[in-house]
Amino acid sequence: MDLNQLIGRATGLAGEAGAALLRQVQHVRLPGAGQASATDDPEVAARRWRVVTVLREPADVDAALPAPLTALGDRIEVRTTRAPGDRGTELAARFRGTPTEHEVGELRAALREAKALLEVGEVLRVDPQPHGERAATPQGAALEGAAKAAPREGVL
Amino acid sequence: MRAVTWQGVNEVGVETVPDPTILNDHDVVLRVTRTTTCGSDLHLIGGYIPAMRTGDVIGHEFLGEVVEVGPGVRDRRVGDRVVVNSFVACGHCWYCRQELYSLCDNGNPDPGITEGLWGQSPGGCFGYSHAMGGFAGSHAEYVRVPYADVGTFVVPDEVSDDRALFASDAVSTGWMGADLAGTKPGDTVAVWGAGGVGQMAARAAMLLGAEQVHVIDRLPERLEQVRRHVGAEVIDYSTTDVMAELRERTGGRGPDVCIEAVGMEAHSTGVQGVYDQVKQQLRLQTDRPSAVREAILACRKGGSVFVLGVFAGPVDKFPLGAAMNKGLTLRGAQVHGQRYTPRILEHMARGELVTEHLATHVMPLEDAARGYRMFKDKEDGCVRAVFLPHG
Repeated sequence: MDLNQLIGRATGLAGEAGAALLRQVQHVRLPGAGQASATDDPEVAARRWRVVTVLREPADVDAALPAPLTALGDRIEVRTTRAPGDRGTELAARFRGTPTEHEVGELRAALREAKALLEVGEVLRVDPQPHGERAATPQGAALEGAAKAAPREGVL
Repeated sequence: MRAVTWQGVNEVGVETVPDPTILNDHDVVLRVTRTTTCGSDLHLIGGYIPAMRTGDVIGHEFLGEVVEVGPGVRDRRVGDRVVVNSFVACGHCWYCRQELYSLCDNGNPDPGITEGLWGQSPGGCFGYSHAMGGFAGSHAEYVRVPYADVGTFVVPDEVSDDRALFASDAVSTGWMGADLAGTKPGDTVAVWGAGGVGQMAARAAMLLGAEQVHVIDRLPERLEQVRRHVGAEVIDYSTTDVMAELRERTGGRGPDVCIEAVGMEAHSTGVQGVYDQVKQQLRLQTDRPSAVREAILACRKGGSVFVLGVFAGPVDKFPLGAAMNKGLTLRGAQVHGQRYTPRILEHMARGELVTEHLATHVMPLEDAARGYRMFKDKEDGCVRAVFLPHG
């Protein structure tokens, strides 16, 4: 393996590490600054309903479930409920059975995109953005990995 | 095009980058005519917000001319002279409909980062790291602006570029602090920090009817600007006991409203200042909150404290007991600029809000590294460095 291949491999690993770090960050609690309650075990966490609140009437949501959710087909179940206080519709989905972390990530991204499509009519894009020269550093690759994984991560 | 980029901790440079393009139907592309440094940039540049990538274009307070319009944009035309709010907001979600635009649900394409840190994600911000959406910033010849019908405002003919520029962030942030802190006619308001945002918070408080406004800083040239251009009283904290002075000036009550416009790198005197500096440099705390602490302690019973300065993480020695036992209302926010910009431009047009004095150093974009150095070191009385991308 020559030097360029070695650097490329290290950069790839750093990107994966960045995404993995982001996956874990919501579970990291600093002493005195974190969660006071119990934490779900991974199976319970994976089976929870993931929910976004959409500022549209329930009938509108039911009539036109956006493509990112319908693309998941029978693998998920979906329910809609009127949100309290004129906040629109609670749009919830979860996988049948126990999903993998990757599948939960897919569902998070699909719900966020569905909400944007219902509320705005489009999903906000950020790539490509103008930028200057980027050295191929492990830290940079880790950040890029985290940013790329960000739509599929978070507390949703 | 030429653009100012972050090139590592405390390193800023100008380089050639690709031109921006329309990515969404509701985008416009702007030819940037004025773009200014903001105190919150210093946190990014100094590495206190660890989501910057080498080569990221920075800058979030700007004004320009529309040169390209996406097919879904209704109200903007090529040639419009517009000021742009620093936060990206869709205008359609529940938060936007409550006029809490910086909390937009659809403004940050990378919500996983800040959800992990804070439990929820605020909206995105131009040129403010990949945690806040990864949008290219405004210190460039051109910039893409998403949701243009919501985030851009046509500048009235009678308002100059030099004045309108600061409606983008400094004035709207200051106005929001004074408004959401609940400033009422007859109130006494104290503002920590006499930078652009602090000065504009003070001016907004006066326009909202505050009877007395006191601004606290240590830099004589900024305090002089407050006296001359804002018309508020000043306190130099490097020579005066702020708590005692405020008690004396307010009949022993303390200010009704306390606005913090300093942020995570607050300077302070004595042992507290050294303690916070050491802890932050050792990364044992992310933020230095000395102005927030003082605001809470100085505020009258039942009063209101608003945090306008940018903070990122947990802070130390936070006087929660004082906040609770004194019955304070504690609030903070990134700027809901879209809520305030129309009325700010009206005040500017009537001459009731002047901002030109903030632009102490105006220079070509190519001199941005020098501009940021002067801004950071407060060299030559620098309050804001303003860059002209097209000369």
